[in-house]
Amino acid sequence: MKKVISTGLLLLAMVVSGALTAQDDAKADQLIGIWEPSHGKAKVKVEKIGEKYYGKIVWLKEPMDPETKAAKVDKNNPDEKMQNKPLRGYRILKDFQYTDDNEWTEGTIYDPENGNTYSCIIKMTDENTLDIRGYIGVSVLGRTDVWKRLKMPSKKK
Amino acid sequence: MFRQKIGLMVVASFGFIQMATAQTDTTNTEVEEEEDYSMYDNLDFVDEGVKRYAPAKIKGISPAKLITVGYDWQGKYDMTAAGYTTNEGTFAEQTATVNSTQGLRLEANIPVISKNSLIVQVGARLWDINYDFDDPTSLTNPLLTTLHNNNLASMGLNSTIFKPLSEKSFLLVQVSADMNGDYEFTDPQNFKYTKYSVAALWGKRPTDNKQWALGLSRTYRGGDLNYLPVFLFNWTSPTSKWGTEILFPARGHVRYTVNPRNLLFFGYEAEGYSFRIGNQGQARPDEDFDDLEIRRSEVRIRFVYERQIKGFLWLSAQAGYRYNYSFNVDQLPDGEDFYRGFTGDQEFIQENELTNPLYFNVSINLVSP
Repeated sequence: MKKVISTGLLLLAMVVSGALTAQDDAKADQLIGIWEPSHGKAKVKVEKIGEKYYGKIVWLKEPMDPETKAAKVDKNNPDEKMQNKPLRGYRILKDFQYTDDNEWTEGTIYDPENGNTYSCIIKMTDENTLDIRGYIGVSVLGRTDVWKRLKMPSKKK
Repeated sequence: MFRQKIGLMVVASFGFIQMATAQTDTTNTEVEEEEDYSMYDNLDFVDEGVKRYAPAKIKGISPAKLITVGYDWQGKYDMTAAGYTTNEGTFAEQTATVNSTQGLRLEANIPVISKNSLIVQVGARLWDINYDFDDPTSLTNPLLTTLHNNNLASMGLNSTIFKPLSEKSFLLVQVSADMNGDYEFTDPQNFKYTKYSVAALWGKRPTDNKQWALGLSRTYRGGDLNYLPVFLFNWTSPTSKWGTEILFPARGHVRYTVNPRNLLFFGYEAEGYSFRIGNQGQARPDEDFDDLEIRRSEVRIRFVYERQIKGFLWLSAQAGYRYNYSFNVDQLPDGEDFYRGFTGDQEFIQENELTNPLYFNVSINLVSP
């Protein structure tokens, strides 16, 4: 009888634990989607790769470089090897992990306009709004940008 | 005292240098496999009625400085202090050679609110202005002796508020409270001598490459109190190579971008404050002249080179010509400041003349994201 009870308790603990993990995963995955930064010059698609979250540019308001008349590349990147890479498709958000309280940390954000990478914290203020804070060293030396969620595109047949 | 000040400033600067260079700026951002990006062309917001706001910056503008540790140096020039008469006698005009005017400059501007709909930045500034006279034993004019004995100091607090009204328009307000005089930083003058400046502008940001604004200011840029119109014009060419950064009449520069980590500027800055002469018991000519202020204003016509050193640490080097606009002395009736403007007929106690030397300024800066 004791064995049956302890086995039952163990199963219950596993179910509760599994449910909580699933709940956390669901919360963490809220970051997945298409987002528009406040300047409206780009759209960024956030995806989950492994246990981390990444965001890449999928749309540019001005996709062509006025100087070269070709598709924009990451010409401001301090790494010369990256300077010919197209901006569309570029991962500008990297390595974010869900911590708690609708916050994703440990990641970086890249600014193609000056080639700098900043430490970054993402906070979801409501299900369709993100506070993206890029900073230098300590959070107080930073700037927050508000991103809004866009509707997912319909699949083309 | 000077060594103490340098020590504190060096410790402060070392701290932020460590912080700035600890941050990496290398990017190994990867590009993923090709996908059909056209599906992202026309996407609506999930929320209805999402409002877009005009960003504070335009494309290609030079990075904002969060923390600055700098050194300012003016070369040799002559200062002619006017003569004047008091109840105690007459003080003769005297010309003295100043070998250099130099000092450390510390500045900080930290964003305390940084949202799309509102940016509030708070700053502090501390300048040391030392006068090195060629022959200090020969000085007799009270203005020259007090500059030799006490030098000048300037510190202030300021705030900049950027409030976008829509996707294309914005308000910009700058306020500052400054304490300028011949005091020591360890023994500042009375707060009642604080000078207040304010500028309020309304502007448009029609494209990512251009913003302009018009407004009014209460300012001491000319040395004494004045009310002036203000015009902001920031512009970057389509290729991002050329641009302007203008806040007239305070400053105006043409910018050439070698690359986003190397910038060249040519232009001017009008730098002015009213410095209270407390005299600190020295060289006071007469108690009737107890509320004296040097209306100091100079225009710096200059080349500026700014470059990234490492990470978010930038070097800024200025070299140019310092043109003296005003070094006249006013007596403030009952200690109260007054408005003269360009047409007022209030007479100065001293109308002094300075010849114009070359100058340079070099600073290390922590720049903003």
